[in-house]
Amino acid sequence: MVGIVLVSHGEMAVGMLEAARMIVGPQEGIATVCLRESDAVEGLMERVGAAIKEVDTGEGVLILVDLFGASPFNAGARLAMQRDKTEVVSGVNLPMLLELCMQRGQQDLNQLVATARSAGTGGIRTLPETLRKAPPA
Amino acid sequence: MPVIHVRMDNRLIHGQILVSWNASFRIDHIIVTNDVVASDPLQVTLLKAVAPLTAKVSVLTIKDCVTYCNGPEAEKESIFIIAKYPEDGLALVEGGLKMPVLNLGNQAFVRGSKKISNTVFLTESGVKALKTLHDKGIRITCRMMPADSEREYWPVVEKTLPEWAK
Repeated sequence: MVGIVLVSHGEMAVGMLEAARMIVGPQEGIATVCLRESDAVEGLMERVGAAIKEVDTGEGVLILVDLFGASPFNAGARLAMQRDKTEVVSGVNLPMLLELCMQRGQQDLNQLVATARSAGTGGIRTLPETLRKAPPA
Repeated sequence: MPVIHVRMDNRLIHGQILVSWNASFRIDHIIVTNDVVASDPLQVTLLKAVAPLTAKVSVLTIKDCVTYCNGPEAEKESIFIIAKYPEDGLALVEGGLKMPVLNLGNQAFVRGSKKISNTVFLTESGVKALKTLHDKGIRITCRMMPADSEREYWPVVEKTLPEWAK
C-alpha cells in the first residue's frame, strides 16, 4: 500500500487525519508533520524524511501538503526530487484525503495522484439550487 | 525604485511571501540571493518552479544580485529581494546595493544562535552584521507579515543580546 505523509502549517495535518479517522476509521501508514513557527527548513525536511521512511512499504509515498510553494511543499518537493516513487500533491482537503484512504488499497502511486486531484477539486461544492431558500412569494 | 523590499528569510520563498507579501506589493521580480543556494541546482529548480503567476524568480549569488539591481534592467522592475541571513544583507550593502531598510523575516534556530522571539534566532555573526548595517544608517525591521509594525528592531536586538551587540 502507498504510504501517505501529511504536511501542514500548524496542526492542520493532525486535525485532518483525526477528521478522516472519524469518517473512514483508523488508517495505517499515514504520518503527519506540522510546521511550527520556529522551525528551520532543514529541521522540517528531516521530520518529513523520517515520516516518509516510516510509511514507505516499497510501493511509494504520496506527500500531501496544504499550500503550493509554501514551506511544507518546499520540504516535500526537495525530498521527492531526490527519491524514487515519491509524489507531492498540494491543496490537500478532506474530500481528497478521504478518497485516498478508500482507494489506496487498490491503486498504485500514479493512480492515487490522479485520484487526489479529482477528489480534491471535485470535493468543492456549493449549495445545490434545490436546497436554496425559496424566493419570497 | 527598483528594489522595493529586502528580506532575510531562511525559508526563502514560502507561504508568507507568496500569499501575504505578494498581495501587498506589485512584485514583478523575486530575487533569491545567497551564494550557497545559488550553487545548488536542486534548490534553484524548485525556487523557480514556485514563482507566483505575476512575478519571475531569479536565484543569484550576492555579487550577481548587486550587479543586476544596479543595472538598467532593474530600473523597470519592482524587485523583492530574499536572502537567507543578516550576513547576506551586509554582503549586499558592502557589494554596493543601496537599501534604506533591511527586514528580518524567519530566522530559525541554527547552531550557536540565541532566541529573540519564536521566529527570530540570531548568531553572534548575524548580530554583528546587523550592527554594522545599523551603524551605516540602515533601518532594521522585523516583519513576518506586511501588516506587522515597521518599528526599528535594532534596539530589541541590542537589549536581548547585549553581549553580542556591543
